[in-house]
Amino acid sequence: MTEPQSIDAIRDQVFAIIAKQAKIDVATIRNDSTLKDLGVASLDAIEVIFDIEEHFDIHFPDQGTNFDTDTVQHLIDAVVAAQAAGGEGGAQ
Amino acid sequence: MGAISAFGEGAEALWSGLREGQSGIRPLRHERAADLRVRIAAQVPESFDPAAHFGERALPMLDRASQFALFAANEAIVQSGLDFAAGGLGGRTGVVVGTGVGGETTQDEQSRRLYAENATRLHPLTIVRLMINAPASQISMAHGLRGPSFAVASACASTNHAIAQAALMIRAGLIDVAVAGGTEACLSYGALRAWEAMRVLADDTCRPFSANRRGLVLGEGAGVFVLESMAHARARGAHILGVLAGVGMSADAGDIVAPDPAGSGSAMTQALADAGLSPEDIDYINAHGTGTPANDPTETRAIHAVFGAHAPKLAVSSTKSMHGHALGASGALELVAVLGALRDGVVPPTANLDVADPACDLDYVPNQPRALKVRAALSNSFAFGGLNAVLAVRAA
Repeated sequence: MTEPQSIDAIRDQVFAIIAKQAKIDVATIRNDSTLKDLGVASLDAIEVIFDIEEHFDIHFPDQGTNFDTDTVQHLIDAVVAAQAAGGEGGAQ
Repeated sequence: MGAISAFGEGAEALWSGLREGQSGIRPLRHERAADLRVRIAAQVPESFDPAAHFGERALPMLDRASQFALFAANEAIVQSGLDFAAGGLGGRTGVVVGTGVGGETTQDEQSRRLYAENATRLHPLTIVRLMINAPASQISMAHGLRGPSFAVASACASTNHAIAQAALMIRAGLIDVAVAGGTEACLSYGALRAWEAMRVLADDTCRPFSANRRGLVLGEGAGVFVLESMAHARARGAHILGVLAGVGMSADAGDIVAPDPAGSGSAMTQALADAGLSPEDIDYINAHGTGTPANDPTETRAIHAVFGAHAPKLAVSSTKSMHGHALGASGALELVAVLGALRDGVVPPTANLDVADPACDLDYVPNQPRALKVRAALSNSFAFGGLNAVLAVRAA
C-alpha cells in the first residue's frame, strides 16, 4: 500500500494528467471545472479516468461516474477516498 | 429461421422466452470470473454441447462463433425445406454472416498461450478458426452453397448490414437464395476486460429506457435466416415467415461512440422509403435499446424525428433487456423477435423498465407482452463507429 499523499499533491497530479490528455494549459483547470468544460468528451474522458487510475493504482467505481458533469474536485475526492481505503479497488 | 441464445437452442426457445418477458441474463460463467468486475451476461447455456452437433473432424475448425452460426444455419435450412443439391440451387445461393469480432475466443486463447505461457507453437487451425469469414465459410461448406459468400463487420449493426447485403444481391438477380444472419461469441477474458474499461456495463441487469438504467449487459449467440426472392419462394410454395420489405443504412460520420440521432434517423427513413411504407404503416419498432445513457435518449429523439405525430402510437421495445447485447449478433436475435411478433400478434416487452425517464417518452411496452396486430415493423441496429442499419419487415 502506498502512503496517502497530501491533497495538494494529488490535485497537482490530477491537474497534470488532465492537462496532458486535453492538451491544455494546466493553469486553465479549476477545481469546479467539469471535463466537458475543459473540452474532454466521450472517449477522451475515459482515457483521463484510466490515466488517473493507473497513476494512483486505484479503481474508480464503474457506476455513478458521469464524466461530462463530474467536476475535477470530484475526481480528486475520489482519489483521496481510494487512497484512504487502501489503493487498488479502494473506491469500489 | 434458426437461432441459439441465452434461451438455449433454437429460434422457438428464444422467441417464446422473449414473448413472455423472461430474462436470459445470469451470473457470468467464466473460468476467470473471480478476477473480473463484470458479474453478469446473457450466455448460451452450458447445456449446449458442440460435440452433439458437429463431427469430430469439423469441431477443431470451429470457433465458438462458427459453432453458433452453423447451428443456427442448420436449423434455418431444415425449416426452409430447400434442397440445395437439386437443380443447381447451391450455385444460386449466397451466404452473408455478420459478426463484430469473429473468432475472438480462439484469438484470446492462443494469445494467452503465446504471451503468458511462452508457447512457441500455436494450434495449427488457429487461423481458420479466428478469421472473421470463418462462420460464412463453414455454412457454405456444410451445405454446398457456392454463390457470393462473405462476412460483414459493423460491430453492433453487423447482422442488419449482412441481411441488407443478402437482400440487395437477391434483388440484383445475382442469387435466388441467401443464408444470412449474424453470430457472436465475444465473452473472452480479454474482451470482457476491454468492455470493463469502456465503463458501459451494467452490474445488475439491463434496463433500457428506464431512468435507473446502469448500462448494457453483454450477450452471445447467433441467428440465421433463409432469404429468397418472392418469385422463388412462391414458385416452390414456401412457408413465408415475413417479408423483408426494405433496408436503410447510414453513417453518423461523427463520434466513434456517441450516437447521432440524425444518422440513426436517416437509416430509419431510408428503410421506410426502400420498403415503400409510410411512418403510419409501422406498428412496432424493435429498438437498438442498449440501456446506456448515450443510446436510449438519442434513439428516442431519432424515432420522434422520423415518425412525428405517429411516434407516440408506436409500440417500441428493447429485447436486449432479455437476450443481452450480443454485439454483431444482436440484430439476428432481434429479427427473430420481430418475425415472432408479426406471426403471433404479440409485441415482446422491454424487461426491467420500472422508472420513467423524461428523456425517453415513447411507448416502450414495459415488462409485459402486448397483444397487437403488427402489420409492419422496423428493427434498429446502431453500431459503435457510427454505422447504422435498419430493416423494415412486414407480415407475409
